[in-house]
Amino acid sequence: MRLISLTAIAAITAFPLFAHADDRIEDALEARHGYMTMLAINMGTLAGMAKGEIEYDEAAASTAGANIEALGNYAVSDLFIEGTANGEVDDSDALPAIWENPDDFVQKFADLGEAAAGAGEAVKGGQANVGPVVQKLGGTCKVCHDDYRKKD
Amino acid sequence: MAEDQARRVRIWDPALRAFHWLLALLVVANWLLGKFGPNIMTLHFWLGYSIVALLAFRLIWGIIGPESARFSSLFHHPRSVTGYLRDMVKREPSHWPGHNPLGALAVIAMLLVLIWQVGTGLIADPEDFVNVGPLANKVGSDIATKADAWHALGADLILIFVLMHIAAILFYRIWKNEDLIRPMLTGWKWVRRR
Ligand code: HEC
Ligand code: HEM
Repeated sequence: MRLISLTAIAAITAFPLFAHADDRIEDALEARHGYMTMLAINMGTLAGMAKGEIEYDEAAASTAGANIEALGNYAVSDLFIEGTANGEVDDSDALPAIWENPDDFVQKFADLGEAAAGAGEAVKGGQANVGPVVQKLGGTCKVCHDDYRKKD
Repeated sequence: MAEDQARRVRIWDPALRAFHWLLALLVVANWLLGKFGPNIMTLHFWLGYSIVALLAFRLIWGIIGPESARFSSLFHHPRSVTGYLRDMVKREPSHWPGHNPLGALAVIAMLLVLIWQVGTGLIADPEDFVNVGPLANKVGSDIATKADAWHALGADLILIFVLMHIAAILFYRIWKNEDLIRPMLTGWKWVRRR
């Protein structure tokens, strides 16, 4: 009896903790998916212009470049909290390798930030300037996805 | 007894041999480029297109090429496969003219996995905005991102098939004392009519 009530009390007091943990996990997942989607949207604009599928527009290109630059400064690795690897929660393609090589993972985000530095300016001055920026940025997406994102 | 005598016969035509060695070279090179090559995969794409051309040639050659290259000589009755399997462990050369029933299955499997590989590569979207397959926007982003995973799966299958292929050649060379490499270089092979 004592054991049961103790368990019950423990469960009740712990419940908000669990609930809280759940929120944290869901927020982190949602935020980092949103983060990646924002990268993709802006990369889509630049890649489209580089290929000539979207007409070059200096202001739009510069905004997209500056957006990626801003995202490159965001400490997104903080969103990869414990317990959010692929297999631990639904809807995560983040490989456990992230938590085994945290320094390398942070470094790969830093590489993105570095590639993004000055992107808003670099894409100005003509369509021909967009391609090299897309390649530099896209390479950093690939390198990280190769090691840390599950393909599916 | 004369029927049992092995004769030296020109079994592989020059086009097929050129196809074989070019394909081997390009597939290995493209596999390595895929895994370890530069982040901007331009070369991987170009070698991939060359492999598409080689596969197209092989499909045509399977219809209009010489006897040993024909698809009709690739498809054997299941019973001849089991029959061949039974005799395979014998320590003697097979002297088989062309693709033996088991080897033919391997050829079909390898051609299919390569067609799968170029097909998925052409429509793959790895969401990095640089290495996007040229036909990815034709199939929709759902399939295109899946195709990227299918392409990685295909790469694993290719590794397995290539290793099995080499193991089989070694098995014939060492266990059965039959050199299968030279015929694919010169075209001439010791065969017995069946
Ligand atoms: C340092 C690592 C890293 C870098 C750099 C990176 N990504 Fe990602 N990306 C990930 C991980 C990990 C996931 C899987 C996240 C998850 O499912 O929780 C992901 C997922 C995505 C997704 C899918 C999001 C979703 O809703 O499922 C897109 C799209 C994406 N990334 C685009 C990009 C683009 C574009 C770039 C480059 C401009 C980029 N990423 C750079 C690690 C990275
Ligand atoms: C037989 C021919 C081919 C072989 C052996 C091959 C092999 C590979 C390998 C090993 C990878 C790395 C997969 C991994 O991450 O594990 C890869 C990736 C890729 N290949 Fe191919 N490939 C071939 C043809 C093609 C073709 C024809 C195209 C398109 C034109 C193509 C486009 C791609 C793309 C887009 C990627 C994804 C890169 C990424 O996910 O970052 N491939 N290939």
